[in-house]
Amino acid sequence: MEISSVPRLASGCRLHATDDILLVPEGTLNLSGPAREILARIDGKRTVHAIVDDLLLQFEGANAEEVRQDVLQLLSRMRQRGVIRT
Amino acid sequence: MEQTPRAVDLPAKPFSLIAEVTHRCPLHCLYCSNPVEMKRAQEELSTEDWKRVFQQAAEMGVLHLHLTGGEPLARRDLAELIAAGRAAGLYVNMITSGVGLTEQRLEGLVQAGLEHLQLSFQDLEEVSADFIAGTRAHAIKLALVPILKRYDLAFTVNLVVHRLNLDRLEEFIALAEELEPNRLEIAHVQYYGWALKNRALLMPTEDQVRRSLPLVEAARNRLRGKIHLEAVFPDYFGSFPKACVGGWGRQMMLVDPIGEVLPCHAAAIIPGLVFDSVRDHELAWIWKESEAFMRFRGDAWMPTTCLECPRKERDFGGCRCQAFLLTGDPDAMDPVCSYSPDHGKLVDLRMSSPELLPIYRG
Repeated sequence: MEISSVPRLASGCRLHATDDILLVPEGTLNLSGPAREILARIDGKRTVHAIVDDLLLQFEGANAEEVRQDVLQLLSRMRQRGVIRT
Repeated sequence: MEQTPRAVDLPAKPFSLIAEVTHRCPLHCLYCSNPVEMKRAQEELSTEDWKRVFQQAAEMGVLHLHLTGGEPLARRDLAELIAAGRAAGLYVNMITSGVGLTEQRLEGLVQAGLEHLQLSFQDLEEVSADFIAGTRAHAIKLALVPILKRYDLAFTVNLVVHRLNLDRLEEFIALAEELEPNRLEIAHVQYYGWALKNRALLMPTEDQVRRSLPLVEAARNRLRGKIHLEAVFPDYFGSFPKACVGGWGRQMMLVDPIGEVLPCHAAAIIPGLVFDSVRDHELAWIWKESEAFMRFRGDAWMPTTCLECPRKERDFGGCRCQAFLLTGDPDAMDPVCSYSPDHGKLVDLRMSSPELLPIYRG
């Protein structure tokens, strides 16, 4: 996962309407911390960079480098699990 | 000082609803998990019944709906059922043989809201795959895959493995890989329902099981990030039991074709259990009150060895159906557990005998 990557949710994966979970085929992934906010910004068009910028707009005062690392780590992990594609 | 294990807590809500919408099926797989006595088409729940059930399930907090059978495609109202599941807020999975699924029908199912489709394969060669399925199905399944790829749909390939195909596991996994599914399940046959009739024929050898494990692990590592792999271990070769269906009455409800609600696929074999019907009760009432769901909930029913064992919080006492099938007593310890006095029975059952003939349904 790179800062210029364009992530998208894999087929059959979607955020639950209200709960902090990602619905995936035959299962769920619990989302903690900022995970839901990050995944909610994935639309298959925005780059990781744009997603980070958007998060920084919403969470004023957050450390840009930390947010970038958080986003990259989460998305890499979820790509390993097959629920995020680039 | 040894700690006394805590009591097993009671579950708040089920996670998934398995809707066996019909027992009709074009396949006659030797390892079929459906009961030996199947429910007749005339008695099946109506479209409205199922819609009501899905609504009730979503209200209870159920997340996943699994449409299965038999072959769900045998229901003409399948698209309507899918749409009702989605409208209720459920994630809609379907397990199908793919037989009879035209592109036109698939498109309708996806438009209705189908999110995930699972297709199982019986072997990598057509002749032996069709032998195991009891009908011509392999070529149909293969032909369906490129069509599935045209739609926004998660796709799982399920390889059902047993003695007749385990020697070709590596090539079998390679076939699955070529099909490029999102998920790959490698599932050893579980001996319930019809599969029990063919147990001696399908039981893998110790050697096959031993050789298969590193192949599965290698595939898991190789495919990481591309195909998510889940494997079901062969029960009879374990030392500790599985948390069958995540624990009795803990995670799932199964509604059979005529509306009876079971805590697991095989529960009907346990003598004396009475299953309440969605025709008479709300699903939430059945979850909380149905005797069949209460029967092995918590740990009050457990034999002393289990009661005092810390593993009970992980395996919830193992599989009740298996305990009954192998010992005649549904309250006995699951013989898969090495602490069970009946564990030795599995050693005998693991001896597969090569001269048996397949037993097909009907």
